[in-house]
Amino acid sequence: MHSLKYFCLPLFALALLSACSNDDNSVEMTAASCSDGLMNGNETGVDCGGPSCMPCGDGMEPMQPDFTGTYSQVDHMGRPGINTVLSFDMDGQPSVKDAHNVTIPSEMALNFQAGFEARVEQYHDVYANKLGLDPMDVNYEANILGLDVTTLTTVLAADVLEVAPDAPTVYFDPGTDNDGDGRILVPDGDEIGLTGRRLQDDIVDVSLILLFGGAEGDRFNGQDLDMDGVADLPRLTSDGVGLTAGNITDNFPYIGAPE
Amino acid sequence: MLAAIAITGMMLVAADHIDAPSSMGTTADIADFYAFEPAADSQNTAFVVNLQTDVLPDLAYGTFDEGVLTEINVDLDGDLLEDFVIQAIPRNGRMYFFAGAPDQTGLDSGVMADAPLGDVEISGPDAIVETTDEGVSLFAGPRQDAFFFDFFQFNAVINPDINSAPGGFLPPEDATDTFEGANTMSIAVELPNSMLGTPTAQNALGLPVYKTWVTTNRKQ
Repeated sequence: MHSLKYFCLPLFALALLSACSNDDNSVEMTAASCSDGLMNGNETGVDCGGPSCMPCGDGMEPMQPDFTGTYSQVDHMGRPGINTVLSFDMDGQPSVKDAHNVTIPSEMALNFQAGFEARVEQYHDVYANKLGLDPMDVNYEANILGLDVTTLTTVLAADVLEVAPDAPTVYFDPGTDNDGDGRILVPDGDEIGLTGRRLQDDIVDVSLILLFGGAEGDRFNGQDLDMDGVADLPRLTSDGVGLTAGNITDNFPYIGAPE
Repeated sequence: MLAAIAITGMMLVAADHIDAPSSMGTTADIADFYAFEPAADSQNTAFVVNLQTDVLPDLAYGTFDEGVLTEINVDLDGDLLEDFVIQAIPRNGRMYFFAGAPDQTGLDSGVMADAPLGDVEISGPDAIVETTDEGVSLFAGPRQDAFFFDFFQFNAVINPDINSAPGGFLPPEDATDTFEGANTMSIAVELPNSMLGTPTAQNALGLPVYKTWVTTNRKQ
């Protein structure tokens, strides 16, 4: 790159030419920079114009991006896994999942609660069959929060994620076995939950417990009922997987760098 | 008969990772949504929205689509209508954020160009963070997807065939995280609760909560 002698003409009103110098020595010509707050290079305004930078607006400032137009909803999410697990698309029928994604929350319960309840019962039927039992005998059992299936699916159908401004965030934490009854999942006063969702919360296990865990949270836990070394009940209250992303931090943006 | 999701090199599994037919695999596909208090006694709330997760770690992550407006909706009084909206939309390599009470609620939106929150250069693998004079932190770029789930076993569990996963999910020593090493495109914003407002809505345990949800919206 050649150095150029740069003559600073006193008639220039804006002393913005960064290479301007009374010194006759050669100075390097700086390349135009579109974000240095200076009008330089081939720019016709500050950080705009010329072949390299965004066009200038009226006042020789960069033109604002175009934000006009109407944007129409195509996807929705509140709590994790709701649409995936509880909306059931049947072959040949319009997609329930698609419909859920373009429904506003205030209209979701009306349109989806009944389908969610049917889906919960359907999951129980699937495992009744796998266990060789009559599906009529294997039904949802009120969960650790004491919610019956209609109440539970009504809450879940209005798909929003609650976050508390003045309480620690946890999707659900059973706390300790406060009443010493040997059952940590059964509420005894020091549980906390429904206050938001952190990156490390095991929302899958919480959801499985609330859907399949029954009153004590462990209804289908792979139990070996007859002590013969072989599980008699399926494992439905945990997927067996914990957090694997090891780079979550305490500093914004909290979620870690890509692999 | 396994669940009809083909496992190919180009599969994008968002769920709300495993999403609906129309949005799955598109640039408007919401993979995940988090909302949390970033530290004990913090007066802020942090939101993270993940778009377009790649299941297979070797896949390059995607890019933000200028035709997609992402909106974080906040309901204060429990009527499930948004009282405050945070918008994010990319233009020319930067993510622009807007925030305020919307003129209208519902499925159609316009960018609240009169209510800018700030903007930030879209990051590469190294995070670029912008903090505004109002104490708002902004980020947009590729991140490691933090979600964890044995999705393949889940498909076997819900398969009604009586020979499919009769034992349910696998014990920890045998289970695998389908999303281990997966990447996603994240939008993160943290702002003072004083900007969001004071909620009167409550959760099932009687605590005051913001009721929040995220949508993606495509330019018409």
